[in-house]
Amino acid sequence: MNPLTPNTWLPTAAELRLFAPELILIATIVAVLVAPILIGRRPVAVAFLALAGVLAGLYACGAVAVQVGAGAQGVLSPPAEPPLPPMLMADRFSLFFKLFLLVTLAAIVWLWMIGAGQAQRWAGVENRARPLAAGPEFFVLLLTSALGMMLMVGSLNLLVILIAIETASLPSYALVATDKRSRLGAEASLKYVMFGAVSTAIMAYGISLLYGRFGTLDLSTIAAQIAWMPPAADLVFWLGLLGLGTGIAFKVAAVPMHLWCPDVFEGAPIEVTTWLSVASKAAGLGLLLRVVEAFSASAALSDAVVPLTWAVGVLASVTCTVGNLAALRQESVKRILAYSSIAHAGYMLMAGAILVAASGDAAAHGDLPRAGMAALVAYLLVYVTMNVGAFGATALVAWQTGSDHLSSFTGLGRRAPWVALPMALCLFSLVGLPPLGGFAAKWFLLVALGKAAGVHPWLWVLVTVAVLNTALSLYYYVRIIRQMYLTDDDALPPVRAPGGGLVMVNACAVLLLLLGTLWFSPLGQRAGRLATHVFYSPVPARPQEVPSPTGHPPAALPAEAPRMALSAGHTPPYHGK
Amino acid sequence: MAALALNLLIFLPLLAAVVVWTLPERRQALAPQLSLAVSLVGLALAALLLVGLPGLARDESGAALIGEARAEWIVVGERAAGGLRDGVILRYHVGLDALSAPLIALTALLVPLSVACSFTAVRHRVREYYAWLLVLTTGMLGVFAARDVLLFYIFFEFTLVPLYFLIGIWGGPERRYAASKFFLYTFAGSVITFAGLLYLGIRAAQIDGLSVIDFDLVRLSTLSLTQLSTTEQSLLFAALFCGFAIKVPLFPLHTWLPLAHTEAPTAGSVLLAAVLLKLGTYGFLRFSLPMVPHGALAWAQVMGVLAVLGIIWGALCCWVQRDVKKLVAYSSVSHLGFCMLGMFSLLPVGLSGSVLYMVNHGLSTGALFLVVGMIYERYHTRDLDQLGGLARQMPVLASFFVLFVLSSIGLPGLNGFVSEITVLLAAFNSDVLGPWYGVLGATGILLGAVYMLYAAGKVLFGPLKEPPGTPDLSAGLRRDLTGREIAILAPLAVLVVVLGVAPRLVTDPLDGALQSQILDRVHEARAASAIQHHPAYAAEVHPLPDGRGSEEWYTTALFIGPEPGEGGPP
Repeated sequence: MNPLTPNTWLPTAAELRLFAPELILIATIVAVLVAPILIGRRPVAVAFLALAGVLAGLYACGAVAVQVGAGAQGVLSPPAEPPLPPMLMADRFSLFFKLFLLVTLAAIVWLWMIGAGQAQRWAGVENRARPLAAGPEFFVLLLTSALGMMLMVGSLNLLVILIAIETASLPSYALVATDKRSRLGAEASLKYVMFGAVSTAIMAYGISLLYGRFGTLDLSTIAAQIAWMPPAADLVFWLGLLGLGTGIAFKVAAVPMHLWCPDVFEGAPIEVTTWLSVASKAAGLGLLLRVVEAFSASAALSDAVVPLTWAVGVLASVTCTVGNLAALRQESVKRILAYSSIAHAGYMLMAGAILVAASGDAAAHGDLPRAGMAALVAYLLVYVTMNVGAFGATALVAWQTGSDHLSSFTGLGRRAPWVALPMALCLFSLVGLPPLGGFAAKWFLLVALGKAAGVHPWLWVLVTVAVLNTALSLYYYVRIIRQMYLTDDDALPPVRAPGGGLVMVNACAVLLLLLGTLWFSPLGQRAGRLATHVFYSPVPARPQEVPSPTGHPPAALPAEAPRMALSAGHTPPYHGK
Repeated sequence: MAALALNLLIFLPLLAAVVVWTLPERRQALAPQLSLAVSLVGLALAALLLVGLPGLARDESGAALIGEARAEWIVVGERAAGGLRDGVILRYHVGLDALSAPLIALTALLVPLSVACSFTAVRHRVREYYAWLLVLTTGMLGVFAARDVLLFYIFFEFTLVPLYFLIGIWGGPERRYAASKFFLYTFAGSVITFAGLLYLGIRAAQIDGLSVIDFDLVRLSTLSLTQLSTTEQSLLFAALFCGFAIKVPLFPLHTWLPLAHTEAPTAGSVLLAAVLLKLGTYGFLRFSLPMVPHGALAWAQVMGVLAVLGIIWGALCCWVQRDVKKLVAYSSVSHLGFCMLGMFSLLPVGLSGSVLYMVNHGLSTGALFLVVGMIYERYHTRDLDQLGGLARQMPVLASFFVLFVLSSIGLPGLNGFVSEITVLLAAFNSDVLGPWYGVLGATGILLGAVYMLYAAGKVLFGPLKEPPGTPDLSAGLRRDLTGREIAILAPLAVLVVVLGVAPRLVTDPLDGALQSQILDRVHEARAASAIQHHPAYAAEVHPLPDGRGSEEWYTTALFIGPEPGEGGPP
């Protein structure tokens, strides 16, 4: 308690330390804003400043993860009796996603630096002209959207979720239009804003419905309430949930909230495209898992498990299929990769379906949630590598040839062998061909799905959808490879790629090769271990007296709600601070 | 020692591929030589391994492997006190047994030949070409050596990429379309096979009450059959069918093949026809039959019908071809139909004839593709109407051509005859298929003679016809075959004759393994379903509990089973 202002709650230093990554990021944002006043508009210097901030954030993430430890968590909430539900949490789950986001962010900043080098080099050349990389404001926007995404995975409070999603989205709209001279970018940005506004509105509506129904903004409290108030016929509850789901689907770019994705990905500068394709999805998935986990322990929902799994499964299948089908006829590589990212969001949502399917009865599912979560973690790790590699290679080509059209890739195998080879490996990995990382990712996903199908046999449908989609996706990935290796035009000059870019894409390719062979097993084990630690995010301090609109006695609330559903008894439960 | 040899055999080409690919430009000429040397080393290693084969046949347990190497590759799950729990295990487990040995030998033999046949034919992007050829070698050998189902699948897919590039870069005028079609077609099938294998692995863990999913080949092919319902097995068979039948290719899934074979460079066609099609037949033999015998029984007649249709359809297509290479390609459809017909007769003689057919088809079709490639290199055409009377110009080539044509149509005394006749006899006598299958299949022999002799006659005999400006000898060729080309064809010619006279070289080590690993499984399933459906009949004909069927059953139902006392039914 603060001695100066006794009525105002301020977090203690120990509590704040748990949120060091976010605080460091905020400090970096301020520094990036202030720096131009001191040193003038020097984009590269600012980029290094941003990179330093991101690396410091990464370090802080690691430190906090050690401090938090497995199974425990830090919360940011005023002390009260009974304890209030937290506004923000720093548990291993959110820390994993924060780490993931910061690593991606570092890669994006690196990619930007490479691009800036290219821009300076080709400053005066016609057709090659790439606008001089935008200055400090680019990093302010980028880091702010990263901050929003980091907040997205750390809360169960609907208001914080809404604010986090907006913090992530608003800078993204501007990021897409960083290149002020690009008509495509402006159009993309406008579309993004429209879609974003609509989905935010729907989501805010859903949240208000939930608040009106349950009188609380805390999802865990809502979950606890429905535990003794079966929601089967509760239209308001389901509508509210649907609204919330819409907002998440927008971030993940799941069908039917995916329509912004291809245009935005095509119009945005390639660093931004890479950032959105990976980070936005990861954060959205993180949030989805949080929500799923919050409700999963509710025994009242066990009747709803099957329809809910169906819902997520159908969403995943449709997302996957629509993404793949739409990619078939694209001519822009960026657009192909955009649709491919929609398809991959579908695969990852399938892992979400496992978690939904495994919720409810913990005893019957044993290892399943862990396997599902491990599959998702492994998939995310591989996915970021593949996408950074593929988008990076596309960027190297596009910066040189001035276009990301499929025809710019003609004869790349000869013109730039060390761009074409990693690109080909990344694409084969995106297909899921062995022995590459993509195969490992799909393998873990399909095995987890298969295991879950042992309990719910209809999940085999998802396995079938996944493998058929894999076959479908081969077509458009191979089109790029075909353009690179099977067609050639001797008149085309070699493509000179900057050293930093080559290091980046080849590192991704080597990583993918290792992940598919020697690191296959370590990947699975790490992911499994992470899943055990990570997906154990007990909600501390369940309020004992919840306002009950229906007037049921709160005593009906189980004293020790089955929060262990998703940890399958590996870690001791957490009993509040 | 043997394990080292087998691993070297598989991975030496991959290492060599990296070396070849990264050779500096001025050392480009080393690429062919290096590749040939590596593939010859591979041949020597394979020969070394095959020495152990007769010993393997004598092994009673049937579990012995040549050059077995086994390591845990992917282990995911929790290590508990009693071992792994809640996990998945995937082994790097390779080894030769009697079923895979002939195909490994075939591969090891054909790779140096196809490397050597590319010396003059491939003149651009040379390093890449040989690198892909060597990568393909690793894939092919790995597939046959794999003893873990998932490892098999990984190698199975691994063969697609190099072949895609080989067809797409060094192929004929329609190479890009052909390469994409081949890749998409086979990949689409194999992912469904993957789903099937995954299902089988997970069900196997459930059946055995283990929490560890294990894809060991032996374990999956000795699974208790009573736990896997017939419907389940039929569906699984259908899933496996998708990948394997496209690869074989069975009618009507063969449409990728003529295009891919025709457009591929000679070495690609040779390996595609001789080895890669065998992945499909090998898959049926190794996976579909022993793992889901009920499914195989349920599907046997469908398979028989498709095989017969393929035989006739392929042969009729051959008849109307103008392009010699396309003709040989379609003949593969017809020939692989024979192979499948023998396999799904589910008789000992049919199975061993089928494996023999795989080897023989590899030899004679591979040789035919080589000969056609040699003609094409000189005349830049494969059109039957533009060629004629070449026998006078190139007598040596003509003799080889005639020999291989005769082998392909099954002239007695040459290799094709033995396998064709055993396969047809088996289909005729099979109680799963029946006389009609044999009779209709036999028309394929007749048609085969028609189209093959017609094509050979057109190209070799009659008045001399050469396209203007040919033969093109700019690559250092001679009008007739050079010494290198003779050296390529001679080993195949020798084998064609040797296997015609002594087919037991292939089949003798095979019979025991076929019986114990595959046929016993199928008979067990038959006996079980017979009991289920016709208890009275079953009690009479299939004395259980052994479930294998009595000697009498073999002699009545299996007209030409192994003779009693010579490794016959227990």
